[in-house]
Amino acid sequence: MKKTITYLLLCLLAISNVASIAVGQSTTVTLIKNATVMTAAKGTLENTDILIQNGKIARIGKNIAAPSGATVIDATGKFVIPGIIDCHSHAMLDAINEGSFSVTSMVRTRDVIDPTDIAIYRAVAAGVTAANLLHGSANSIGGQNTTVKFKWGHPAEDFPIADAPPGIKFAMGENVKRSNFPAAAGQSPRYPRTRMGVIETMRDAFIRARDYKQAWDDFRAKKTKVQPRRDLELEPLVEVLEGKRLVHAHGYRSDEHLNLLLLADEFGFKVATLQHGLEAYKIAPEIAKRGTGVSIFTDSWGYKLEAYDATPYNAYILWKNGVVVSINSDSDERIRRLNLDAAKVMKYGGVPDEEALKMITLNAAKQLGIDKRTGSIEVGKDADLAIWNGHPFSPYSRAEMTMIEGEIVFDRAKDGQRRVDMARERETLEKLDMNRAPGTGGGPPRVPTDRIRGERDDAEYGEGGNR
Amino acid sequence: MRYKQILLSVALACSFFAVGVLGQSYAITNAKIVTVSGATIEKGTIIVRDGLIFAVGANVLAPADAIVIDGSGTTVYPGFIDALTNYGLPAAPARPTVPGGGAAAAAAAAAAAQAQQPTSNSNYPAGLRPEDTVETDLRAGDAQFEAARSAGFTTALTVGRSGIFNGQSAVINLAGDSVSGMLVRSPVAQHFSFVTLGFGTYPTSLLGTFSAFRQMMLDAKRLQELQKAYLADPRSMRRPDTDRSLEALFPVLDRRMPLVINANRENEIVRALDLFKEFDIKGVIAGGQEAWKFASRLKAQNVPVLLSLNFPKRTTAASPDADPETLATLRFRAETPKGPGKLAAAGVKFAFQSGGAASMNEVLANAASSIDNGLSRDAALRAMTLDAAELLGISDRSGSIEAGKIADLVVVKGDLFGRDRFVSHVFVDGKLFEMKQPSAPQGTPIGRGNGSGTGVAATPSASNLSGTYTITIDIPGQPLPATLTLVQSGGGLTGTLVSALGTTQIRDGNVSGTTFSFSGDVQFGGASLSISVRGSVTGNQISGTVDSPQGAVPFSGTKNP
Repeated sequence: MKKTITYLLLCLLAISNVASIAVGQSTTVTLIKNATVMTAAKGTLENTDILIQNGKIARIGKNIAAPSGATVIDATGKFVIPGIIDCHSHAMLDAINEGSFSVTSMVRTRDVIDPTDIAIYRAVAAGVTAANLLHGSANSIGGQNTTVKFKWGHPAEDFPIADAPPGIKFAMGENVKRSNFPAAAGQSPRYPRTRMGVIETMRDAFIRARDYKQAWDDFRAKKTKVQPRRDLELEPLVEVLEGKRLVHAHGYRSDEHLNLLLLADEFGFKVATLQHGLEAYKIAPEIAKRGTGVSIFTDSWGYKLEAYDATPYNAYILWKNGVVVSINSDSDERIRRLNLDAAKVMKYGGVPDEEALKMITLNAAKQLGIDKRTGSIEVGKDADLAIWNGHPFSPYSRAEMTMIEGEIVFDRAKDGQRRVDMARERETLEKLDMNRAPGTGGGPPRVPTDRIRGERDDAEYGEGGNR
Repeated sequence: MRYKQILLSVALACSFFAVGVLGQSYAITNAKIVTVSGATIEKGTIIVRDGLIFAVGANVLAPADAIVIDGSGTTVYPGFIDALTNYGLPAAPARPTVPGGGAAAAAAAAAAAQAQQPTSNSNYPAGLRPEDTVETDLRAGDAQFEAARSAGFTTALTVGRSGIFNGQSAVINLAGDSVSGMLVRSPVAQHFSFVTLGFGTYPTSLLGTFSAFRQMMLDAKRLQELQKAYLADPRSMRRPDTDRSLEALFPVLDRRMPLVINANRENEIVRALDLFKEFDIKGVIAGGQEAWKFASRLKAQNVPVLLSLNFPKRTTAASPDADPETLATLRFRAETPKGPGKLAAAGVKFAFQSGGAASMNEVLANAASSIDNGLSRDAALRAMTLDAAELLGISDRSGSIEAGKIADLVVVKGDLFGRDRFVSHVFVDGKLFEMKQPSAPQGTPIGRGNGSGTGVAATPSASNLSGTYTITIDIPGQPLPATLTLVQSGGGLTGTLVSALGTTQIRDGNVSGTTFSFSGDVQFGGASLSISVRGSVTGNQISGTVDSPQGAVPFSGTKNP
């Protein structure tokens, strides 16, 4: 009897599971067989199978029998890791900085995402499945970020992770005080022009936000009659004060990071991440004490004055001090090699491999508040996975298949055929009237424009750069 | 039937004296009449009197006082409606160039530009002023009227194209002799573009364009509520401010006035549809070259499209050294002509607009191309007549051949959508414009698809902009001297823009009358920036704007002798 009830309950559960499949989630059943599974949570499992149902990881174990109708992927000799998460990216964005004011908390990167950006495909081809799309670093308080999954081929509305906590970009230092961007002649330089001005701008904004919150509180308590004006600049800052919005703060120097942490203490909020944080190692205990995360480059520095006092041991020191560390790309090019950036922290200081892997997966998920659903290979989490043909920390390895919520978004085997198909399509299209050039004598070769999107944030790797 | 004829004769006789006072009557006889609203009359007569269609039918008799146009062998259609233009509106004034360089010159230029800004006491900068109306700026006698009329267009929606809010549009007729007589309906809609305000003025990025719009909509909503509360009981509260810019958004908030968003490409269309949803706006998409990709969403949200007949085409010359075009570009050009058919099949309402095409012949050729690509002839015609009239809110007075409607008519010899089309007569608001048969070989082929055809002779040939121009690109703080070489062939434009930043090859160049546009790439700071240039030539003066991801800057200069 008891057994029957349990069985019935299980059936009911199964039914309700089926009924609650979200749009976009794959309804197919997939079984990955016989892989080396690097879980980023519970160690590395040899000769292990992963069963994926309804977009979720349903089972992890050895010799799982394939349910009928399941797609079976033989991963013998291959490595499965959680989908890589980039905690600092500007991919997909048609605009990055609203530089008119030093506080632009009203702008939202969600408004300008481009689901057709080829950078997405290049990222999923490197095992990346999610990213934090941040506003640029031109402002003390920049715009609102968007946490997305790279659901290549889907419409824009499918990209943002619906239950990810909202966030906002802050920035300090040279970019904000416009050190390298002289004001146009005839125009006044934008305030602030110094580091003390930057922190003042932030403090001023939070004082205004506090007053704004008070005005609404008074109105709701019927102390005032006329409803206050809704202010899209201050609303997100009130959310920061209320702990509902994550702060991702760009900066380099430890004195500035400390200044911000103290400001946050003063106003009673927590900074979610320090972005870049080249000198974060100097204040690791102070950061750890506040539960703030740091998102860094492994070994990139010296590209501007405030980026000199850096060390590749940054990740190691922070990790040793109990800080949640992630490694980000801030670049559509570097996003394709985050696995190697993680490998480097094993060399510099000897961070264990699982911890290194976490720095591009689970830790980034924690920093973005999405670790309940993604970032590691555990039963119940979204099936955001990448299958590599060798150890992901080897420069000779490459991602062969990437899936998001069970849906294959990249398959190297099919990629080759698609290239052939596209070449054929091109041949046909080029013959059409509207695609034929009117004459000869056109211009010289030009730099492909598909990746030129104006201002990049802080990556100084040839492409883009800190303009 | 006979009884009806007698009645009609009596009616005509009775109104005989009125004719002398109110103007000449016309009768188009023996013509095939495509009424659009009703059945096509294979052989019939239309009587035009006092600016209106007085009668139409197979058995209508021409009154004695009417000038008779023998319509044998012709087809009469309702006058065509161009659902979005900037006819009759002056180009945005160019900034004056201050000689020399450096901060002082730039400051002087900025000050001069400020002085040139239309004076306004708005709380908002130019470009965020929804109170701007076409009525204020409209001018009669635009040269474009004639070109449009010659192709059978009698009516157009017109609005400026500058700024985020382009302002409020009006439907005008293309008789063009006086502003007072031109306005058919005003205001029609508020218009909006996904652009920025440029250097220094928020919003300077697309990000800010959205937030500026949102804040204005919220502020307008609040102001409306406060004003209502105040009117209800003026002694209960402090008097709310007035604000013409925000007040101009009240009709949009109330869904009394549609908001037309210029959106051609996929991302823009999705963003426009999202905004319509967010603010419960009566939305319209203008351009809509990729609207077919979202046909079901447009249908579900009940958003019509003012669909551009300016189909993308390759204008850059081939070079063996050039990079191949992207597959996306090639697909875009190939798919666009199939768009109208797909929208019609999905039940999305649309009207055709010229979309800044090089010539009206190209517009009609592209309408024909949509028919070749799956749109029914009937639907194509409706998109230029009655459907357009419905979308513009003038179907009670225009858009079909019915007694009592405005006498906007076009008499066509040959196939309207064919190569032998010749527009012989056009009535605009009852006023007759007669077109001369081309002296060149009869029925000069109409360019199809590539738009580079010579067009029918009835269209005045556009002035030739070819030449070398010395210009200054007015980048604040560092005015950039440049040499612009334009080579015009038909509506196409090639050439170069040479400056200290290098040589830019003109791509996607277009000429329409004395205005031109092109795009290109400029090397700047180690990267390549896409620029988009628009301008116009008056005499030997050239001016316009260069738009790039960094913002828009004006340029001006003169043609080299």
